[in-house]
Amino acid sequence: MAGGEEEPSLGATPVSLSTPERSVLLALRNVEDGPVDEEEIVRRTGLASDQVRGTLQRLRSKHLVEVAEEHLTIRSLTPRGEDSRLRGLPERRFLEAMLRHGGALTAEEASAEGLRDEERSAAIGILRRRGLLADGLPFRLRAPDAAPTGPFPEELVLGQVADGVGEADEAIVTALERRGLVREEHRSRKHWSASEEGRRLTLAPEGEPTLGPLTSSLLASGEWNLRSFRPYDVRAPVPFVTGARPHPYVAWLEQFEEVLVGLGFEQSEGPLLETEFWNNDVLFMPQDHPARSIHDALSVEEVEGHLPPPELLARVAAVHEGRPMPGESEAVGPGWPGRYDPRIASRPVLRSQTTPVSARFLAGHPPPPFRMFSLDRNFRREEVDATHHLEFTQCEGILGEEGISMRHLVGIFRELARAIGIRELKIRPSYFPFTEPSIEGYVQHPQLGWIEVFPGGLFRPEVTRPLGVEVPVIAWGVGVMRLAMVSLGLHDVRDLFLDDLRRLQGGR
Amino acid sequence: MPQSVLSRARLEALLPTPITDRILEELLFGSKAEVAGAAGDELTISVTPDRLDLLSEGGLGLYLQGVLGVAHGIPKKPPAAGHAKVPSFRVDASVEPIRPAIAGALVRSPDDAGLDAGTLAEAIRVQEILHATVGRDRRAASLGIYPWDVIEPPVRYSLEPLADVAFVPLSEETEVRADRFFTDHPMAERYGALGRVGGRCLVLRDRRGAVLSLPPVLNARAAGEARVGHRELLIEATGREARPVREAVGLLLVVFAARGWSVSPVAVEGPGERRDDGRAVVEPHAVDLPSALVRAVAGDPLPSSEVLRRLARCRLGGHATEAGWRAEAPPWRPDLLGPIDVAEDVYLAAPVAVDAGVVPASRTVGRRRGETLYRRRFAERLIGLGLTAPHTSLFVSSEVVARVGGPEPIRLRNPVSTEFAYLRDRLFLSHLEVLERNTRHGYPQQFGEVGPVIVRAPSAESGGETRYRASLVIASESAGFADVAARVDYLLGDRDVSGVREPAEVPGAIPGRAARLRVAGETVAEMGEVHPRILTELGVPVPVAFAELDLSALWPLVAPRDGP
Repeated sequence: MAGGEEEPSLGATPVSLSTPERSVLLALRNVEDGPVDEEEIVRRTGLASDQVRGTLQRLRSKHLVEVAEEHLTIRSLTPRGEDSRLRGLPERRFLEAMLRHGGALTAEEASAEGLRDEERSAAIGILRRRGLLADGLPFRLRAPDAAPTGPFPEELVLGQVADGVGEADEAIVTALERRGLVREEHRSRKHWSASEEGRRLTLAPEGEPTLGPLTSSLLASGEWNLRSFRPYDVRAPVPFVTGARPHPYVAWLEQFEEVLVGLGFEQSEGPLLETEFWNNDVLFMPQDHPARSIHDALSVEEVEGHLPPPELLARVAAVHEGRPMPGESEAVGPGWPGRYDPRIASRPVLRSQTTPVSARFLAGHPPPPFRMFSLDRNFRREEVDATHHLEFTQCEGILGEEGISMRHLVGIFRELARAIGIRELKIRPSYFPFTEPSIEGYVQHPQLGWIEVFPGGLFRPEVTRPLGVEVPVIAWGVGVMRLAMVSLGLHDVRDLFLDDLRRLQGGR
Repeated sequence: MPQSVLSRARLEALLPTPITDRILEELLFGSKAEVAGAAGDELTISVTPDRLDLLSEGGLGLYLQGVLGVAHGIPKKPPAAGHAKVPSFRVDASVEPIRPAIAGALVRSPDDAGLDAGTLAEAIRVQEILHATVGRDRRAASLGIYPWDVIEPPVRYSLEPLADVAFVPLSEETEVRADRFFTDHPMAERYGALGRVGGRCLVLRDRRGAVLSLPPVLNARAAGEARVGHRELLIEATGREARPVREAVGLLLVVFAARGWSVSPVAVEGPGERRDDGRAVVEPHAVDLPSALVRAVAGDPLPSSEVLRRLARCRLGGHATEAGWRAEAPPWRPDLLGPIDVAEDVYLAAPVAVDAGVVPASRTVGRRRGETLYRRRFAERLIGLGLTAPHTSLFVSSEVVARVGGPEPIRLRNPVSTEFAYLRDRLFLSHLEVLERNTRHGYPQQFGEVGPVIVRAPSAESGGETRYRASLVIASESAGFADVAARVDYLLGDRDVSGVREPAEVPGAIPGRAARLRVAGETVAEMGEVHPRILTELGVPVPVAFAELDLSALWPLVAPRDGP
């Protein structure tokens, strides 16, 4: 397929051109004394000048004609230049008036002689620069015989420009341009000739019908067998077409999921708009924790949340207050200072971590052993820049069974690092309200050095006991955005939300 | 993470030798503190929120002494000197409704030189850190440090009429009445509400009536200003509850304990017959550590001697018991709430051996959610249709919401900018922004995405429901309703579903050129041509048609077939 243009061919196969193209090409082939301009082609073909211009462009795109461009500088007199040529330059008129007044002239007398103020000023300046006027007033010639006898050079150049003849002195032309007496225009003139291809082309006889696009009716009628096809210009520009491919970040996340599925983890998902109960309380985050403030967590307007089932609420409230849970005699731990406030628990908040998904999963009382992961969006109140975004992706994972320990968490970190091609890992202590011990895995990156990637720990009993989980549970929440940026060679977190269609079509 | 600037010289004064930045970083890698910056004498240290004691030169010095092996266990308490005056607080019942908790300690310099400028500066800096952290900007706890020699015990803590209180505020020269102070003083403007109720305010006075402070707002100058040379200091904290108040006092004590100051309790009397000898504030607290827990955390049993060695290295006390060990934690370790917290210290006291990590044998079957796979299949089909896949945020701008009209999506209460002010309830909103950002490119443009939206759902637990949508957008000279309707038919047909299109008003679409599609009575898609007013505002020069499928609505209809 092509854009519907004809394709002339070289050699013996006759080719067909449109009638204007044929006329113009033939006209140019018949010119014997060199390239001609458009006017000449108009004259020779009888076509309108617009038609000739368009046809020449089409022939040029088919490489059948050539063009040579001639750049011209055209000089002419401005209206003031014309006036000076007729009445004389101001300095000439000033000099003559002075002579008429006996070699001296006042400003008033100059005005009376018809010299406008600006003409008088220009004249005085020029005559002084040439040393013809003496200092002082009235204006006098420096010497009685100082008046030049012949024409000024400027007067000669004005004449040359007006008549378009002779080699004008360029410095004087420039000076006259500056005085607004001469103007210069730059034009180009195109001269056309048939190219080598255009001359060798075998043209089909005029009027022989050719076929355009193949159509269903041509196929049905069999007419395609009776006529030749008009060739296309295969070099002509074609429409822009692109393919589609998965977003690179989304594709990367799906690959990361594969690793966890391969380790026996089952995927889970939770709401993006949570209540504070699931986002914080059930994770043993104190209700007055600074990270829960309006400066860190994103909350919403005019939406009302609801409390969780009362039994669960009572157990979590007891753990926060350091009381025994209902039906138990001993408190799980000393809890946090202050009373637990259910009104805070029901407030809607955008999920600030994926751990609520783990809590919801545990609340479903999965039979041990269990392994769960969730790779999803989370939100924090961050200014958006190259390293921060309100929205971030976290990969949450939990593993619960008898005998599970920090050794196993370190083993999982090592396996995840290995899966993304990182061999060096080291561990340091960390802190999260819902895990104890809490650790952070650092990996060695060739460009960035040691970067923290794997935070995790053992869920506190204050988290697992209210949810009815009796086996130890290790948990981690990997900041996968950073890993993805490293893997995809990105330096700006905003590029993970790439929506530049052209870049997406081109790959990264 | 909490952060503070420490004096390297004062830190090194507690260590056997000066240490380089590199060695300090290595030593701290095993701790919950890290070097955030170093310049000259200034060391910027950041810590995890549970180890505020490491933000003082004293606390960090004690930790490093343990790591370097030059000291272990809880610092030895200097013999308590006999005090000529017995410190105590007498609490009036009037403070009960507003700020009833008070705790304190008396610290005494080990030598006649008394308080030096560095320790004073460190104490004041730690005091401010504690106000901001444990103290929750003084609401939960606020601290005061006073020169004990000018105070005549007992110190009375009460709520007094403003008119009866006059004092010289710290750093000022002239006496002011409390009513004037609460009106004019900048500290009162910030914290006044915490220490005042009606026409009365909280006051600490000694037996002679000298005002120590107006907690939690400001100390008085005479009895409330600790200076270089003072040999005995009274530390006091007030708050709404006992625990943060005690924690604040305990954490401040590390500044003095690390330098050999002796620490004595301050008794609290009243209201009524209540009496607390104050020892719990200044004495170590015991935590039993069962051996089974250590094994459960570490994955391996640890010899008793090793556990005791690690406790000592962490600057904790301890001894073996029948069931394991009993650890003793100094007052500046309030993070050690229970056995699991001590188990953490023991586990992390030695470097974690990465090579010892093992992946437990899997006894589970890994799998993705059926609904996730189903959504992913839609995303694949969109790509198969030649639709480029952007990845857009859940947030949309005020501008696009106003531009499209219709029911208002959920609005953020605390947005960082108008650009991210709403939670989209249609992918269409995000995709109008995509169109606007791509006007510099040529046309045709076509893209599609599967992603979440949040819609109002009063009966949902959070009041909003996360739903997943698939959206497709075609922008070209010839784009029209039929283009997107045909693709929706294809996408549904691919899942063996067919629906019925019916005319509908879809916000953002040209009236009469929009439809909803129902399957089994459920709306599962909407589609239309984007209104030219919107296109003009976006600067899009060609017609645009769009469609959006509600995958969450469709899922129950196809789940039996698509599910796992």
